[in-house]
Amino acid sequence: MTQPSAGALSTLIEIAENPTGYVTRWKTATGGKAIGAFPMNFPAEIAHAAGVLSVVVQESREPITSGRNLLTEFYCGYTRNLADQAARGRLDVYDGFFLADHCIQLLGAVDVVREEGNRPVYFGQLMASMGDPWTRTAVDGKMLSFREELAEFTGRTIGDADLARSIRLFNENRRLLRSVFDARRAGDATFTSAELQALVKSSMVMDKEEHTALVRRALAEARAARRDGRIRLHLSGHFCHAPRPELLRAIEDCGAIVVDDDLFHGTRYISTDVREDVEPLAALSQWYLDRNVSVPCPTRVQHDVDWDAYLLDSVRASGADGVIVLMAKFCEPHMLYYPELRKALNAAGVPNLLIETEHEGLPLESVRTRVEALLERIRHSQLANA
Amino acid sequence: MSEHFMGVDLGSTTAKAVIIGADAGMVAWRTVQMGAVSREGMRQAVDGALESAELRRADIGRVIGTGYGRRLVPGVDRTFTEITCHARGVAAACPGVRLVIDIGGQDSKAIAVDRDGFVEDFAMNDRCASGTGRFFEVLARALECEVDELAGLARSGSEDLEVSSMCATFAETEIVSLLAQGAEPPDIAASVHRAVAARTLGLVAQVGKRRPIVMTGGVAKNAAAVHALAEALESELIVPPHPQITGAYGAALLALETYEGAPPRRAADLERAEESAAAAFAPQSSPSCADCEVSDSTARSVVLGLPIPVRRP
Ligand code: SF4
Repeated sequence: MTQPSAGALSTLIEIAENPTGYVTRWKTATGGKAIGAFPMNFPAEIAHAAGVLSVVVQESREPITSGRNLLTEFYCGYTRNLADQAARGRLDVYDGFFLADHCIQLLGAVDVVREEGNRPVYFGQLMASMGDPWTRTAVDGKMLSFREELAEFTGRTIGDADLARSIRLFNENRRLLRSVFDARRAGDATFTSAELQALVKSSMVMDKEEHTALVRRALAEARAARRDGRIRLHLSGHFCHAPRPELLRAIEDCGAIVVDDDLFHGTRYISTDVREDVEPLAALSQWYLDRNVSVPCPTRVQHDVDWDAYLLDSVRASGADGVIVLMAKFCEPHMLYYPELRKALNAAGVPNLLIETEHEGLPLESVRTRVEALLERIRHSQLANA
Repeated sequence: MSEHFMGVDLGSTTAKAVIIGADAGMVAWRTVQMGAVSREGMRQAVDGALESAELRRADIGRVIGTGYGRRLVPGVDRTFTEITCHARGVAAACPGVRLVIDIGGQDSKAIAVDRDGFVEDFAMNDRCASGTGRFFEVLARALECEVDELAGLARSGSEDLEVSSMCATFAETEIVSLLAQGAEPPDIAASVHRAVAARTLGLVAQVGKRRPIVMTGGVAKNAAAVHALAEALESELIVPPHPQITGAYGAALLALETYEGAPPRRAADLERAEESAAAAFAPQSSPSCADCEVSDSTARSVVLGLPIPVRRP
């Protein structure tokens, strides 16, 4: 499947930049079906067990044109772009679509995908209220319905043994990626944050076994580097879609080094393994519940889990000097939480900066000015406290 | 030890260069309005400042660049953002300042300053020119007058018209439509000034209002804009006589302070620096207090043309 290339990392970056190209090649090579899964919680292991390539549908870089009248301007860039991709036939490579989340903007966009295309779209929202007495039963029911829907979609029975095998492969992939992120937290600087994003993004797109093999090659080919004296930052937020790599590069070019994150295209995606010692479907239910504890998500409600506390703990653990919050413009769940998050960071004396992102582009010079000002502020307080 | 240090602030519409002595006192400065991060404007500002200080480039120990074009300054030793430089310059010029509102040609920022005169927090407009100097250029074009005439026009306006503060381009069509409806230019001008002030309040809210407040940037030379903002903030605003050069001045101070081998300054140096800065910042061509002393008793006071001593390190 993988095209020969200069190096494994370059191949992963290429695939992260052009998911459709990979999916097309995969389908041609295997004759299999591919589904588009919407972020952020679809249990792709079930699709894998059914022999289907499950791909997290990525934001494209194309300007929004035909889809402009399908969703209002006040939807996040990802959902507006999804609607546009659907309207322009850019999602035709997928044979069906699965939704496990319930952000109202995402629902609107997926409804456009259903309207605009002629592929089956399955709406299977997982419960958002995580602490109710009936949550677990509801999640179990939903996992069962995903299995049934995928069985119907493929015409194949999905047995427990198939599912257990898929879970093992996915866990292996997550563990491998987590080891790279853990190394970064501990001072490794082999990969830039844009490269790490490509590792995760390509995992969302590729066949997992193939991805794991390619990442292992990339690790073997990489020249190890240790972190230097740059200001250490934690990147927070940005759900569903990837912040542009040039934004990550600009942040690091300003004299910072990203040492940790809770981005969906980062730590959030790989945070949690599925238990291998219990019945597979029950293990997937537990995985869904555990994910929100590993890295809390503002699209979920859980009274004993707190994103602020998680973020402050992460900052302490990684030794980050400051936090940059990346927020997709009009991302309502994030907007709702942000004031509390900012208050908590300020109260703890953690310098922080908000950068809003938009599908339409990035005012790079203005971003640089704000990032540099944050770094100057951090550097000054470090000197003052030295 | 070099005797002179330079700060160059290459902003979106104006280039500014300030030269200070080893005692932190102002020696010379020059502002040149050339538009869009102009290298030629920067060259003229730098050459002009050197000429009036009777110095050559080789006499300058260290140069710090700031502003959007900071990386374009030739021979620059280091760059700092305009946020850090404005905070530094204003804190030196107006000791005790806690909030700086800087409104330049194409951006505006609110900078919270800590008790030591360094940046504590900041907020800036990012991708829209609303609430900036550009907004006033649009207004002047629509009203067919010079930007300098806007303050006088706004002062004579009495009616409060609704003008969107969201977008500079749409504001222009709104102004044209108000004119078509028979609205008076002074009322339109006054209302646009209030809209800009309201927009700036949003920035201030992001960092938290605190006093004393100093306003800088080209728009601080527009007495009506200062006044509308003081009213909106319900607070006194201090405007240095040369509000456009505080960023370059801060950059020059940082050039001095980051110069290796700079000797500790003595009390006599500091006194000389204070005198020299006070003289340099003494009111000259900035809007006079008379422009601002509006008879309306509800108006907040606006302090213009305060002498500015250099802060003791
Ligand atoms: S969670 Fe935010 S980024 Fe994701 S679809 Fe909803 S609004 Fe968009």
